[in-house]
Amino acid sequence: MKYILMMNTMRAGESVPNWPAKDLQAHIAFMLNLNKTLRESGELVSAEGLAFPDQARLVRAGKNGTPITDGVFPEGKEFLAGFWIVQVDTPERAYTIAARVSAAPGPGGVPLNMLIEVRQVMSGPPPEMS
Amino acid sequence: MKYILMMNAPRSGFEIYRAWPQEAAQAHFAVLNRINKELCESGEFVATSGLAWPAQAKVVRAGKDGEPVTDGVFPESKEFLAGYWMVDVESPERAYQIAARISAAPGPGGAPLNMPIEVRQVMSGPPEEFS
Repeated sequence: MKYILMMNTMRAGESVPNWPAKDLQAHIAFMLNLNKTLRESGELVSAEGLAFPDQARLVRAGKNGTPITDGVFPEGKEFLAGFWIVQVDTPERAYTIAARVSAAPGPGGVPLNMLIEVRQVMSGPPPEMS
Repeated sequence: MKYILMMNAPRSGFEIYRAWPQEAAQAHFAVLNRINKELCESGEFVATSGLAWPAQAKVVRAGKDGEPVTDGVFPESKEFLAGYWMVDVESPERAYQIAARISAAPGPGGAPLNMPIEVRQVMSGPPEEFS
């Protein structure tokens, strides 16, 4: 079963967090180490980080299908900061990995205990739609 | 440059979608499949996936001792990712063009949905400030 673990931690207009450099470095080192562990266990499908929300655009097709872009989002909107796709045997294993991501260190090395959204990734459209 | 194109909708959007006539859903997926095929041919395709329904979504955080604490309750206004595309393109404008094609995928009666697609650059590594 494939699951996506989504770190929806950013808000509109946000850029690099205002943490001391060593705390940022420790946070990234934790994530890189987690990726390495998941790669070694054969569970990592992909891990990606996204650009900050100040560069996000909302696009829709206008008349004639031309793109209409907008950079204004509602105040409360959650922005994806990064995600992992993992191949695991059970949803519980995906939750365990999500909890490890959740506990990544923040300022002062304290676990952030971030909320991580966990969703199953499907192999194709739902049967009722094909 | 890699971009992710995200199809987000509130829970109500998924309910509407689910109620489409089967032929409308088939026509919708046929257009998306054609877009995928064209992106493969142009060498811009990286990945695409659809996600399970929001009813199965969970939010997880580490509790004491780091064990997972799971919850399935989300705010009414929350947007859920329905599916995404990752593309490797020469410019943001090209990513916006592809997003507009996805946006115009047909809904019931064949009318373009013109749904909003969130476009975000995917980074090759942590920002410079982090390393």
